[in-house]
Amino acid sequence: MREAVSVKAAENAAPFVGGVPQFTPEFLEATRELEKDWRSKFDAIARKFGVDPKTYLKRTDSGLPVKPVYFPHDIADMPQDSLSAPGRFPFTRGLYAAQYQFMPWANQPVIGFGLPEETRRRMDYLQSQGMIGYFGNAFYNLVYDLVSHEGIDPDHPSAEGRVGQCGMAVYSREDNARLFDGLDLEKMNVVHISYYENMAVLAHYLAYARRRGVPWNKLGGNSMNWYYQSAYTGMTCFPPKPGMQLAAEMIGFCTKRMPKWNTFNIFGYGMEEAGADAVQEVAFSLAAGIDYARECVARGLRPDEFLGRFGFQISQANDFFEELCKIRALRRMWASKCYELGARDPRSMHVRIHTHTSGAVLTAQQPVNNLIRTTLHAFGAALAGVQAMEVSTYDEALAIPTEESATLSLRVQQIIQEESGITRVADPLGGSYYVEALTNQIEKEALKIYDEVEKRGGYHNCHDYVRAKIEASAVRWRDQVDAKTRILVGVNKYVSDEIQDVEVFKVNPESERVAVERVKALRANRDHAKWETAMADAKRATERFKAGEIGGLVPAMVEASDADATTGEIMGVLKEHLGWRPPH
Amino acid sequence: MDQRIIRVVLAKTTMDAHDRGVRYLATKLREAGMEVIFMNFFEPAEILDAATQEDADVIGISSSVEGHLPVAREVTQHLKRNGKENVLVIFGGVIPDRDVDTIKEMGVKGVFGPGSSADSIVAFIRENVRTPRVSFE
Repeated sequence: MREAVSVKAAENAAPFVGGVPQFTPEFLEATRELEKDWRSKFDAIARKFGVDPKTYLKRTDSGLPVKPVYFPHDIADMPQDSLSAPGRFPFTRGLYAAQYQFMPWANQPVIGFGLPEETRRRMDYLQSQGMIGYFGNAFYNLVYDLVSHEGIDPDHPSAEGRVGQCGMAVYSREDNARLFDGLDLEKMNVVHISYYENMAVLAHYLAYARRRGVPWNKLGGNSMNWYYQSAYTGMTCFPPKPGMQLAAEMIGFCTKRMPKWNTFNIFGYGMEEAGADAVQEVAFSLAAGIDYARECVARGLRPDEFLGRFGFQISQANDFFEELCKIRALRRMWASKCYELGARDPRSMHVRIHTHTSGAVLTAQQPVNNLIRTTLHAFGAALAGVQAMEVSTYDEALAIPTEESATLSLRVQQIIQEESGITRVADPLGGSYYVEALTNQIEKEALKIYDEVEKRGGYHNCHDYVRAKIEASAVRWRDQVDAKTRILVGVNKYVSDEIQDVEVFKVNPESERVAVERVKALRANRDHAKWETAMADAKRATERFKAGEIGGLVPAMVEASDADATTGEIMGVLKEHLGWRPPH
Repeated sequence: MDQRIIRVVLAKTTMDAHDRGVRYLATKLREAGMEVIFMNFFEPAEILDAATQEDADVIGISSSVEGHLPVAREVTQHLKRNGKENVLVIFGGVIPDRDVDTIKEMGVKGVFGPGSSADSIVAFIRENVRTPRVSFE
């Protein structure tokens, strides 16, 4: 049976016509003549506007030059095979033969603030408003708070003022019970949005599930394994190599024990938020993903065993066409690179995308305008054919979303899905001369950056290079805003003194006090002998992991969590043995 | 005839991933001829240590994730206790309107929210930096 699947898979990756050009030479000669004729008319109009047509040139937000109009010969070099069909290698036009015809993209708002009970109320509320995952299953996209990200507990002195901020105050197996009790773990998908505390977070969830009698192979969800983010995110982190090894260790564990679990998230969104342009986002996503995949192979996994559980979180920002072409380019490039790595099952070549509409381009000025921006972002992502979406709320630049703003973000998706009619046709922009040309252009430029990273020893060996590239792009972006060559309505154009008075969310200050009390009570009341044994085992497992042993780390951390070790305690062990340092 | 170089400690908490603005500002202050020490901090005392060691004229703190009140309190109180009120303290990032007056009362001189131009911050520092320069021993 498996044999049959893999034969079919190999067929799927084969070219369907074998490099046949799209157009005949006679046709292309004619369209080139057509362009000359058009150009003379365009130039005449330009001169009427006082513009010298010879110097006239527009660029995308990434700086790619674009023509005023595109013709068939602009995509003549492109063989038919690179376009192919939805659901067929190289997946430029989409991952599956059906796009949104039978199931729309999943609406996955990020939720998380205050105490677990407060987050749970928001989960239940948004679900009542139509937040839904794949196949009608419940879906929760949950973000942990800053204190957890730092790998400390809420009673640490530096946690003051940050407990339950930007995420939920969940630090133990017990907190998981407060969050999930009463929900059917087997019929839901839960994304644990965590940074480098990822191992502790999974340990708590697995320990909690086991106490509830739910087998781990029935759990659906996602661990992020975002260690590569330390290249461009200003948070304390593990050094690049141990970070990558931690990811591969967890990917290996989940591959063997949790077949429904998504093991790795390639977070292009964070790159673009930090300042990367669309081309860099594609290049660095690819580079990080392939580098980590190689580590998994080096640790004994076969590509078709684990690549199908890799996922992507991609930004959708302001440059409408560039952003959607970026996604089409990324799909094609990832498929090719995974094929080269040895993948043959189409699922191992899929770029499953959760779109996160850009937060960085949203403005604190005239905040309601952001609803218009996010609608355009979501619309572009839908045209590109992504699998899931989170639409940033209009108050993103001000605070954690209010219930009202979170609901409106959900409505943006629902209106596009159910009123605009765009879900009828897969890859509706496929074949557009412009869209295909720009997709090709992004692919070409991203490949140059990818090759440069590879030349430098792969992603984990050149975090500084990645950081420098992204930072230079961030400076360029801001300079353009200041010079008004990049327009931000309400910031550098159509500025208004009138203040839009919107409600701003504030985390209940009591939550911090309660979270601190809870963690103190947990430490006081737990079975100390059991905790000590489990912590000693966790230390030994970490030492063995550091020495190269494979497969022992996650189970040891689960036992620690079962013995009521906190996130801060579990992370303390990892930090002590693997290193923990400033991001720059 | 003021040739001395203004020294700025720019800091953000390690817990805050939102460093795009403050890193941009670091670049712009350097371009404006200032000396910038950029740091991540875990506890506010680290900012004060750095300011002492680097003899800073300005402490700039970026916060986009709440937690600014205890940091502002500790930094300004420490400066007052040590007679260093003339070290200019500014904040940037996302400081909710409701807290701006509170941290100004503590002794924070400037608060620069989203969209503030780097030029306006350079100008503010030049206008408000302590003079004559007093050593931060």
